[in-house]
Amino acid sequence: MTRTRAWRTAGAAALLLLMAAGIAPARAEEGATPAYSPHGADTCLVCHNEPGLMGLFRTAHARPNDPRGPFGHGGLQCEACHGPGGAHVKARGKQPAGIVDFGAHALAAVAKQNGMCLGCHRDNAAHDWDASAHAANGVACASCHTLHAATDPVRSADTQVAVCTTCHQTEQTDLLKLSHHPLREGKMECTACHAPHGSTAPAQLLHNTVNETCTACHAEFRGPFLWEHQPVTEDCDNCHQPHGSAQPTLLKVRTPFLCQQCHEGAGHPSIANTPQGLAGVPGGVPSAFLLNGGCINCHSQVHGSNHPSGRALMR
Amino acid sequence: MRALSRYCTSLVLAATAALAGAAAVADAPGAPDTSSWKCSQCPFLAGYEAQVEGGALYADGANASYGRYTGINHSAAYLDAGASGQYRRSDGLYTNYLLERLGLASRDGYVEAGEEGRFEVRLSYDGQPTRLYDVTATPFRSLGDSVLGLPPAWVAAGSTAGMAQLQASLVPINLGYDRRTAALSGLVFVSSVWTVSGEFRRQEKVGTDFTGASFLTEALQLPEPIDYVTNSFDASAAWAGRIASLRLSYSGSWFEDDSDSLTFANPYLAFTPGSTTGRLALPPSNNLQQLAAAGNVQLPWLATVLTYSASFGRLQQNAAFLPVSTLPGAAVPAPGSLDGDVHVSQYALGLAARPLRKVSVHAHASYDGRDDATTPLTLSYIVTDTFPGGSYVTPRYSEDRVRLDGGADYSPWSWVKVGVGGELREVHYGPGQVITWSQDAQSFGYATVTPLAALSLTLKGGDAARKASAFDAAALPVAENPLISAFNYAPRDRVFYSLSGTWSITPTLSWAVEGFFANDDYPLSQLGLQSVHERRGATTFSWKPLASLSLYADAGYQRLYDLQSGFTGGITPPWLVSDTERFWNAGAGAEWLVSQRWKLKLDYLHAPSYSDTDISVNGPAQAFPENWTRLDRTMLDATYVRSSALQLHLRYSYEKFDSADWALSGVDAATVPNLLALGFQPYRHSVNFFALTASYQFGRPAASASGSQP
Repeated sequence: MTRTRAWRTAGAAALLLLMAAGIAPARAEEGATPAYSPHGADTCLVCHNEPGLMGLFRTAHARPNDPRGPFGHGGLQCEACHGPGGAHVKARGKQPAGIVDFGAHALAAVAKQNGMCLGCHRDNAAHDWDASAHAANGVACASCHTLHAATDPVRSADTQVAVCTTCHQTEQTDLLKLSHHPLREGKMECTACHAPHGSTAPAQLLHNTVNETCTACHAEFRGPFLWEHQPVTEDCDNCHQPHGSAQPTLLKVRTPFLCQQCHEGAGHPSIANTPQGLAGVPGGVPSAFLLNGGCINCHSQVHGSNHPSGRALMR
Repeated sequence: MRALSRYCTSLVLAATAALAGAAAVADAPGAPDTSSWKCSQCPFLAGYEAQVEGGALYADGANASYGRYTGINHSAAYLDAGASGQYRRSDGLYTNYLLERLGLASRDGYVEAGEEGRFEVRLSYDGQPTRLYDVTATPFRSLGDSVLGLPPAWVAAGSTAGMAQLQASLVPINLGYDRRTAALSGLVFVSSVWTVSGEFRRQEKVGTDFTGASFLTEALQLPEPIDYVTNSFDASAAWAGRIASLRLSYSGSWFEDDSDSLTFANPYLAFTPGSTTGRLALPPSNNLQQLAAAGNVQLPWLATVLTYSASFGRLQQNAAFLPVSTLPGAAVPAPGSLDGDVHVSQYALGLAARPLRKVSVHAHASYDGRDDATTPLTLSYIVTDTFPGGSYVTPRYSEDRVRLDGGADYSPWSWVKVGVGGELREVHYGPGQVITWSQDAQSFGYATVTPLAALSLTLKGGDAARKASAFDAAALPVAENPLISAFNYAPRDRVFYSLSGTWSITPTLSWAVEGFFANDDYPLSQLGLQSVHERRGATTFSWKPLASLSLYADAGYQRLYDLQSGFTGGITPPWLVSDTERFWNAGAGAEWLVSQRWKLKLDYLHAPSYSDTDISVNGPAQAFPENWTRLDRTMLDATYVRSSALQLHLRYSYEKFDSADWALSGVDAATVPNLLALGFQPYRHSVNFFALTASYQFGRPAASASGSQP
């Protein structure tokens, strides 16, 4: 496929998206406006006064001077999130009666729960929520967020990983490997790289590409270098496993074998490195191609070199 | 590129038009009269509350292996302290702060202040230690200014075994560095729909890493001093209407490395006269600046949400080149600087809609490009400061990537959802690369069943095929084997399946499982990667049999396999290498509120891994020694509640990590004849860790303290 054809394909698809959005018929709104409680939170707190719920009043959701928040002047307080509670009050709490509850055992559908959150949060934090993998998989906001705690665990570096790995369990295993980012030590969050509320980047990354995400911290590898290494400029994931690896420096495969998946040039790149090159093997000769960094022992500038004589990434 | 820009501009304009159209059809819902909602029972914070914690830690047996990211890397006692607090006035002015691990290199914290609904300012600091190895030794001494020398009595030789003064010259050196980040950010709510924010961030990375270098066929490992600074500035203005939003942002990042080179003495006999010193280039200073726009629009039809984003940026680097060589009299002139200029851009549209009550669709179309506009240079170079290598044109790499993905799901009944989806990725490579394009097309289907309200199982399966343009062997370096297919663009067939499930069996008992299976085959690769197999699975149980007791257990297993081939040349057949990695983890724990005074936490983790490598070279397979790791950790955390304000915490853990690695085990400075190594060994530690701290709360009512976290 030529480049022109690829752009035409992309353009046609994008325009179809727009057209599909534009020509579709409107959908009728459902239901009439139900009744709210007589006194807002003062009504709710008569019954719902458990200590575990009161952490909410230490959070951004309960700021009485914030006109954007549910507890700001004119705000709907508890009912901003839980929906109109008039019928619930009238039934003396015996029936949910339209109350939106949250969590694994909630009676409210996930879409209904999330709709309450997105009513305020669709703007920035959740700017691509609707087309995100989390939304497509029916993840509820409350699956990750604990809103009545003074500190939401998913917003703290010490506890976020435990929340994310509740579902992303294979990543939890990855984090236990020899080589890993400092997530399980509480010095980095999943959200340092990923945008859980959706992004237009692959894998819901925070930045546009894998490389922009990695070099946000590892700026020394950003280049552009005088001598570049093509797979590096293309995608750091070509060689690295960001969630964890049994190999050093998050490599997918140990050197020299990783390098030999692309390099089979005449001479030493094509050598079959056997156990005879290990240390302490009778009759063998310890090999610099195999031990310590393998190829990296000499080609240490594998991410690129700015040395005029760095063509082979050795300077 | 010009046509592409026109195309992308039209996309952005279309999105903007859709935004305007959607805004025009906005409706206004009714709202209750809340004038009598006083919230008089609401326990808002008024005044000051805080918690301080302090005490001592002791780690017996700690080393770099144990303290890699915590900074607890010595057998020693450490003082630790932390604090958190909030202050709020009735008019909405507030201050919050959090300070953690103040006695350790991993300390972090923030102080923020503002006025509710108007503005916020935040100052933060984060220390992130990285301890690499503390059992290394080198004959090199720092002579200052990134120059490494050898002792005066050094005896150069053709191999490490002949370096008579090597053992006497070795001095221990700790490898590791600290990443310290300070940030000042601000946020102003300009109006009910406009927010302006900005952040300045300074990150320093300071310490000693290691690197490698060579003089033709003789290699050495070197301690590499690091002193990097990255300053970043982000600013954005965000508009958030009821049915649409827009964020305009600028971000700039300036990476600075004051040292442009690392110069080192040649410990070997010089191949050519004068080749007594080598010089490596260190990462050059660079900067990346980007402008971006992003937002979404809720369209009034079919519950449709349209997302859009666009960004443009430039990555530049113009550090002065080093001299071509340290060789005295090297006749090749230094060419100046690169004037590196890479343009990066990204445009994307996303769409989610629910055209029917039981059908939802979502799709993305995106483009991202890396256009390296740097002028290629023709350079005459010197190989490893040893001999002239000829003349060569520096290659520049550009890529255009288009990604289309989407899916639709249908829920015929409330307990079933089925869906299909796909993704098409195309990469178009710039001039001078081995291929001109690759295309990866993936399709998948899935079904989610929810037979019980709290039980959900999803099975997904699909396949993918990657194709690529004809291979241009002329673009390969002269010595490269034209039969090699680099794995990042070689044609590939993939099948994959995944299973995920969650079951809240009762309100107190839940189970989750996740599994993944994938096979990749590279059918057209005569040399290089042939196949990759992935098997991953994990499960977790959690149970809260009593209000005061919760238990959990989890386990995981992974098996990763890959097979590759190579060809040494001549009449020998291709060689084959297979690598199989297996990784397990199993853990269990409990949290028990023994009484109103005592809380206990227990945790146990066992996580071993094994890596087996075999190579076949014209005969039976030869096995490398097994590489393995084994992590065992037991942790006990006890809290004694002396009063509603005072708590004592005792924490004990025992962690043992052991590993074997054929690339490192037994390799010291002189083990390899042509590698002067730093001699670091596989990670290993056995640590008893004790911590005794006390925390005290000020101002917080007991009722609000329980059930919430400081």
